[in-house]
Amino acid sequence: MFSGKLRSALVIGGQGIRARKLRTFLSMVSLFLGVLAVVTVQAGAEIAERAMLTDVELQAGKDGTMMGYIPGEKGAPGIVEATLKGRTDAVAMISSKAIIGEPGVRPINEGGMPFEYANRGGDYSGPSVYCDAAGVCQEQKPQEKKPDGQAIEVSMVALTGDIRPFKPFRPVSGTWLDFATAPSLAPRIVLNEEAAKGLRQYRIPGEMMIDGATHHVTPQIVGVVEDGNVQPRVYLRLDELRTWMPAAAATSELDRFRGGGTGLEVYMQPGSHDLQQLLKAKLVGAGVDQNQVQFRVVNSKERMESELKIMRLIFLGMAFLVLLIGVAGILNVGLATVGERVEEFALRRAVGMSRMLLAGIVLAETLLTGLLTAALAIGAGAAGLQIALMMFGSRFPSLQGTTFPWEAGVAGVIAGLVAGVLGGLIPAIRAARIPIATVMRA
Amino acid sequence: MTAPVIQVQAPLLQLNGITKVLKGQEEPRTILSGVDLTVHPGQSVAILGRSGSGKSTLLSLIGLFDRADEGQYLLHGNDITKLPERKAAALRSAEFGFVFQRFFLLKHLTAAQNVAMALVNGQGWSSRRKRKQQVMEALDQVGIAHLAKSKPARLSGGEQQRVAIARALVRQPRVILADEPTGALDTETGNLVVEVLLGTTRQGCGLVLVTHDHDHARKMGRVLELRDGRFN
Repeated sequence: MFSGKLRSALVIGGQGIRARKLRTFLSMVSLFLGVLAVVTVQAGAEIAERAMLTDVELQAGKDGTMMGYIPGEKGAPGIVEATLKGRTDAVAMISSKAIIGEPGVRPINEGGMPFEYANRGGDYSGPSVYCDAAGVCQEQKPQEKKPDGQAIEVSMVALTGDIRPFKPFRPVSGTWLDFATAPSLAPRIVLNEEAAKGLRQYRIPGEMMIDGATHHVTPQIVGVVEDGNVQPRVYLRLDELRTWMPAAAATSELDRFRGGGTGLEVYMQPGSHDLQQLLKAKLVGAGVDQNQVQFRVVNSKERMESELKIMRLIFLGMAFLVLLIGVAGILNVGLATVGERVEEFALRRAVGMSRMLLAGIVLAETLLTGLLTAALAIGAGAAGLQIALMMFGSRFPSLQGTTFPWEAGVAGVIAGLVAGVLGGLIPAIRAARIPIATVMRA
Repeated sequence: MTAPVIQVQAPLLQLNGITKVLKGQEEPRTILSGVDLTVHPGQSVAILGRSGSGKSTLLSLIGLFDRADEGQYLLHGNDITKLPERKAAALRSAEFGFVFQRFFLLKHLTAAQNVAMALVNGQGWSSRRKRKQQVMEALDQVGIAHLAKSKPARLSGGEQQRVAIARALVRQPRVILADEPTGALDTETGNLVVEVLLGTTRQGCGLVLVTHDHDHARKMGRVLELRDGRFN
């Protein structure tokens, strides 16, 4: 019975649309813009969210990752390195400082600042303060002023394994560090974009002085990545760094603040509680204060969603207004059409159609129109995104690989259906109220 | 030896003391006042009367387009005086066929699709093939099967009215209600249409014909005249 009613509504609704193609098209035009606005806002918000998430994840780590800050004291770096050796579900990052270029000179960007500020010149002669990764800061002793020279100061990050599963660095050029091969005597380094900019901008000799190292190193630059940091950074394998470090240098408590010191960050896959417990037990056993061994879950999404929420609401509000204009258009056309079809509707009721089904037919027509419009708007949105990506994608690396978000498609279909219902409801009620006797008096 | 049984066919429809008052912004006006009418299967009834005498109102009450204010309406002996709208729609579909002065054909549909309109009304569902067969039988019954694919604009007035009659017949109704079906036709075509309508009574269908034309009325089995809301 229901099937018969539904089929009747769809058949007659389809006939109605075909019979009034121009009118249907006109009502679709205004609705199209409304649905397209909703699709665009939803797609834009999703893409912005993903892009922002990627940017946040570059620095903070992927959402859900378990991250630990460990003080670089009492042999902690050695314990961490030994525990994580050969594992792919956890990676440690040990930060230090290095100077690339002429030895014994004052670096262009003393303190490892971005080159934009270094270019302003000036002689900062106040006390020097160093803060490690855990946020512990200490004033450094004033150093003897060195002559200016062709060298840049970078933050050096030694890795126990591939960090990219936890921090999705985007390749810019060259390759990433290969952890599967035997360690090289000439450490292979990957620069971030700021470090690469420094090397491009200044004529820097290919020599690297690592804090705590016994000798100067000649590194091999293998690639450049975007890591989301504004300060110059280089990444290298910890085992390749070790070759140049004295046995105790990286583990000594005294080294912690010597010219930059050592900070330890550990990244683990979500749910690696056993590894976390094991690491903590080993570190506490070695004498590290257990309160200083902190683990937390990275909540990149949560942090960013609150920022996006207000923006998304504002844009959705605007899109809703545009959609309302579309609804007004379809409503206007619907009411005019009902006025024209009074006799047809009265006749349909005369031959046995119920009021409800008649209302259903008018609604079916607007719903079909709404759905068709939504399909066109979603198609236009997806095509527009592809064209925009082809034209501007190279300028925005975070947009690379972006696809049309399914959430925008769902939002478009819902917008089309809601517009169909809102625009068709009043005409449907009017159609249902037409007295059958209209046909007798005509 | 048993006595012969006289079989009296039960009436198709029976109106007892039907009254209809038109309530508008002006003073209430009594359109029908205590009208009685009985129609048997195969019977044809002509209703004559001047404009405003209540002919069309009576037909709309019989066809369940409207409800009487007083009186009783029996269909096959069942009281349907206060039938809810949904059931009234189902009865209109199953029991009645309507023919109007204006043909009310949808211009964007072919003759066959216009006839099929009575089948696609939410009262049950039959396959496209079955519908096509029913439509062609109805068109054949009124002699225009060859015009099935023609749109109304390409049909003459008589042909259009015959499409409208086919639409009324396609569900094989028990009663045909025709409201001045020849009003928009010339005499010759009008006669043809009346003949087609009378043909349905030979198959047991009841026919109530509202007309101004006395010649057409005389062809019916009974002729009633409405004056001031009552049958004379």
